[in-house]
Amino acid sequence: MRYITTIGEREYLVEILDDRRVIVDGVEYNVDFDSVSDQPVYSLLLDGQSFESYVYTSEVGLEVLLHGNLYPATVEDEREKRLRLAFGGRVAEREEFLLRAPMPGLVVSVPVREGQPVAKGDVLVILESMKMQNELKSPRPGVVARVRIKTGDSVEQRQTLLSVI
Amino acid sequence: MFNKVLIANRGEIAVRIIRACRELGMQTVAVYSEADRQALHVRYADEAYLLGPPPSRESYLRSDKIIAIAKKSQAGAIHPGYGFLAERADFAEACLEAGLAFIGPKPSSIAAMGDKAVARATVARAGVQVVPGTEGEGALRNEDLLALAPTIGFPLLIKATAGGGGKGMREVNNLEEMPGLLASARREAEAAFGDGNVYLEKLLEGARHIEYQILADSHGNVIHLGERECSLQRRHQKLLEESPSPFVGDDEELRQRMGQVAVRAAQTVGYVNAGTIEFLVDKDKNYYFLEMNTRLQVEHPVTEMVTGVDIVKEQIRIARGRQMRYSQENVQINGWAIECRINAEDPYNNFLPSTGRITHSLLPTGPGVRVDTGVYPGFEISPYYDSLISKLIVRGETRAEAVLRMRRALEEYKIVGVRTNVPFHQRLMDSHRFMGGQYDTRFVEERFSMGDPEEGKLPRPEIAAIIATLVAHQQTQRAAHIIQRNERDTSNWKWISRWERMQR
Repeated sequence: MRYITTIGEREYLVEILDDRRVIVDGVEYNVDFDSVSDQPVYSLLLDGQSFESYVYTSEVGLEVLLHGNLYPATVEDEREKRLRLAFGGRVAEREEFLLRAPMPGLVVSVPVREGQPVAKGDVLVILESMKMQNELKSPRPGVVARVRIKTGDSVEQRQTLLSVI
Repeated sequence: MFNKVLIANRGEIAVRIIRACRELGMQTVAVYSEADRQALHVRYADEAYLLGPPPSRESYLRSDKIIAIAKKSQAGAIHPGYGFLAERADFAEACLEAGLAFIGPKPSSIAAMGDKAVARATVARAGVQVVPGTEGEGALRNEDLLALAPTIGFPLLIKATAGGGGKGMREVNNLEEMPGLLASARREAEAAFGDGNVYLEKLLEGARHIEYQILADSHGNVIHLGERECSLQRRHQKLLEESPSPFVGDDEELRQRMGQVAVRAAQTVGYVNAGTIEFLVDKDKNYYFLEMNTRLQVEHPVTEMVTGVDIVKEQIRIARGRQMRYSQENVQINGWAIECRINAEDPYNNFLPSTGRITHSLLPTGPGVRVDTGVYPGFEISPYYDSLISKLIVRGETRAEAVLRMRRALEEYKIVGVRTNVPFHQRLMDSHRFMGGQYDTRFVEERFSMGDPEEGKLPRPEIAAIIATLVAHQQTQRAAHIIQRNERDTSNWKWISRWERMQR
């Protein structure tokens, strides 16, 4: 199975031959790869060198935490990559951004209103949790749409607060 | 003389205090909220009683219930830990009225030092230099604060009178933004301490936050246990502390002079038990009294590691009316200690708190490593309390050894289920400025990034690529096949033994 894996700007061609062998950009390695079931911690023995990392699933792909560095990664097979190139750009960038509560808490303030243009980094909601007031910011420029909460509301984790289009 | 102690707290500090009591052969009583039935302090104590629903004001802040439980369980003393009721003079007073020993200072000292504005005026009268601000003015209204601000000069800080831990604190750069910041500071202070009063203080630039651990007994002995460097903060929350301070360094004269000032500040209020005098120190080694914390500090272990003094045991000894076991002459600083506060916060996502169940945890061990924690696998990190999961403390013969040991310990530490700031600490340990001890209170916010690592540290993106690909491949395979449970189980054991072998 051949994959194109992107870490930052750099693409790696990774071919998985079987359980024990992979080819990375033309170089073959012996691998021994294992995890605790349902635990996002993985141990990799690569030609005898030992690595350990956390792997998280994010909205846009995977995040690999290795030696205290976080590497955002996307993994595609050749068909997926062709499809993506044919449609141009990542789908995620054109979609509505849904701001979800990263933790349960109390809405302290909503400094934006529906229809308001926002820049990247603008505060959308202030949420109090763990005795701290946390500013939830816009990850990209856009227009605020569908504000579903108001000051004083208690929200659950992952609850959609508002969206930016 | 009491032999049973009620611990009016939760989390790692409740566990820490229970440990001290057990080592002294004392009985312990835990109190807990509905969210903490499974907590370690409940499991470790000899007795445990429910306080109420999870929110603090219905549980750990219910002084009436706590005192009633102490009476019912025949505890002779209450240890308040830090936070919650620790710096409430009325609570200390109520304990004494109920015939309970309060393991902490006299209510009058808490009142004098706990109101930060009064504290500054008190020590200033004793000749201790304080940071310019609205000290000793009492509770001021917004109009008065806005009028006084230009006389202090910008930038300045709004601080909660009843505050601590950076809550209710705001930095103000000009008069225009001040009304909004005043409102939010008061709101946060009200929520955290039930007291929305604030005061203003000049913001010293390039300042370091250095504090002295004080011990005082009821026989008139007051000593200090050297300093702690606490300049590494984010939003005024301490993240890492060390003892001694790399800034004070070899300047033994400065160390002793500041220590004597700290002792004098404590004496001005007739202080008894453990406390901390915080100073701001500027580039030219001018030091200013900031505030006194009339309680045990989160970061007390670094002092314990270099002095060998068990501060909590000493607190209990003092509360029982005994003399301290130490005099100033026999307090020696030996080696170097560093503490990293491990918080449930995602350093890659603006340090947002992370909640959830800890599904797996592997603690660092080995020479010179100490972990103070209140959590374990299966424990739920709830949104009701602060995000401190544990404190990782190491000691080395030298600062360099301590830094290298901390790196090693951070790499070993595995916490699964919530995001933690372990990668932040790892990055910090690699930073040249930290290694050189060259940092001030604004370092984390202004000169530190979780982005590209500094030169010399080799990133391994190709390894990350292989791991990501293998995980994605497994997910695809898993989606295509039904997994046989028995196979997964054997694989777990294989994995665990491999992991244990890797702990080198």
